[in-house]
Amino acid sequence: MDRGKKVAIGMGVYFLVCTLAMIWPGAVVANRVEPLVFGLPFFFFWYVLWVFMVFVGCLILYRLEHGGKE
Amino acid sequence: MQDWMIVTGITVAYLVAVLLIGLMARNQESSTLEGYVAGGRSIGLFILFFIMGAEIFSAFAFLGGPGWAYGQGAPALYLMAYLGLGLLPWWVLGPKAARLGRKHGYLTQADLISDRFSSKGLSAIIALVSVGAFIPYLTLQITGAGYLFEAATNGNVPFWLGALAAFVIVTVYVYASGLRGIGWTNVVQGIIMVVVAWVLGIAVANRFYGGVGPMFREIQAEAPQYLTMPGAEGMGWAAFSSIILVSAIGFTMWPHLFMKSYGADSEKTIKKTIVLYPLYGYLLIPILIIGFAGILVFQDDPLSNPDNVLPELVVSVADFSPWFIGIMLSGALAAAMSTGSNLAHTASTVLVRDLFVAVFRQDMPESRVVLLTKVFVVVISVFAYVLALFNPASLVGLLLGAYGAVVQFFPLIVAVFFWKRATKAGAFAGLISGSLVMLYFSFLAPPPFEIHAGICGLVVNTVVLVGVSLATKPMPSEHVSKFVEGSKASLQDIDEGASARSDASTA
Repeated sequence: MDRGKKVAIGMGVYFLVCTLAMIWPGAVVANRVEPLVFGLPFFFFWYVLWVFMVFVGCLILYRLEHGGKE
Repeated sequence: MQDWMIVTGITVAYLVAVLLIGLMARNQESSTLEGYVAGGRSIGLFILFFIMGAEIFSAFAFLGGPGWAYGQGAPALYLMAYLGLGLLPWWVLGPKAARLGRKHGYLTQADLISDRFSSKGLSAIIALVSVGAFIPYLTLQITGAGYLFEAATNGNVPFWLGALAAFVIVTVYVYASGLRGIGWTNVVQGIIMVVVAWVLGIAVANRFYGGVGPMFREIQAEAPQYLTMPGAEGMGWAAFSSIILVSAIGFTMWPHLFMKSYGADSEKTIKKTIVLYPLYGYLLIPILIIGFAGILVFQDDPLSNPDNVLPELVVSVADFSPWFIGIMLSGALAAAMSTGSNLAHTASTVLVRDLFVAVFRQDMPESRVVLLTKVFVVVISVFAYVLALFNPASLVGLLLGAYGAVVQFFPLIVAVFFWKRATKAGAFAGLISGSLVMLYFSFLAPPPFEIHAGICGLVVNTVVLVGVSLATKPMPSEHVSKFVEGSKASLQDIDEGASARSDASTA
């Protein structure tokens, strides 16, 4: 399997996890108020967290595809 | 001087500034259609980022978003989820759309689809579905602008006048300068929106509760049902998950996204935009905090329309200085107008090119097409303005209805890039059946398990597209390869190929 395919499958799985974390069933585990993080209820913070994870994933994918050369 | 005059003065100054920036950006390129529609295909990252950002942050973000947090609580987080996820499919689809657009000179989304399925009729149907999605979306912006003006000036500027002022300006600068005008004004509006949202969110939480943490502690003590699913009105997981999916999938199906990708200067620009995009979701944090703040403030005397929670809270209850309210109003109007200008621009392009020119008058000279597109910018804006005056519907309903319509393009786009076996009959049958199912479950019957009508339509659409395609004769393999294989060649190769050809012809 070449590098491009590995990257595609790996990142595909990563973003699938991010998606499932924000809808049923992933979000069900985070459905509570405690503990408050940065003053936000945990369920609210959960979305702040996963949006950040999507951002990090995009950053990694960009580096993998275009890294090294500007 | 009375407070409302200060508010109005600041806002008018702002609107004039926006108009000037839009007109200054006018350049030679706007006189050709390609220049007018795709910005001459040389838009840089900085502008592209704000064009796209200003597109989603509409009147909905400042009114409907807090409205949901106030009325329902936790389910409003669907907005953050779909903004985070929405642009991901574009990583794969965007560069492919840009490559084929560059290679074959497409200007609209329907150009691409109707070329692949060799059908002008398909182009007409796509145009109708798109305009059906654009009109409620544009109406939403106008309703929002009018309401904001009215609330911020305590009714001294009536709804009809506020809405009219904002949209005359939008129409004028779209009319005068095309996409580049939209780009530069969106840079300014995008920055103002971000600053206003955060300042307002923190200020509201401090004024009523002494901070964000204490605010949520108080809500937890008095009305904890707002802080977790299923929220105050009992939204189920199926409904919640399916509105996230319909919005996230529909997000990359908006015709203007395709038009802008044809204008992108490189694939890296497209991907850089996607990388930065989830961060836009963070603009919703302060916006939702404002909505949550309303829960206890209006506990004894609930608002009749939850969408009004932000202006009610900021203008009537919090009693901030008129200078601050003026800037807030400018920021919110910025959101409504920047989205409105994009929508008016795309809707008229789609209507003129994909319906009128493609089907009836393929020989129309380009200068006439440009003129007609400009005329329709005015016609569509006026139409949406009249709708806003007579039909101020729920903002969330309007937005989700629009997404339910555009999401029906998804199977077609995927087939264009990946599935050679898809046929013209399959494309027609899928798009029509999907749209009808979506309309049925939107207006005539409640959808099964509260799943969003757009998702129901999408499932039927996909099944019918695959089924009918397999039952009909395949399209010529040379033709379909042009799209599936052709979309794999990088944008750089396409440009080099083109310049090599032009070198050969001059030599």
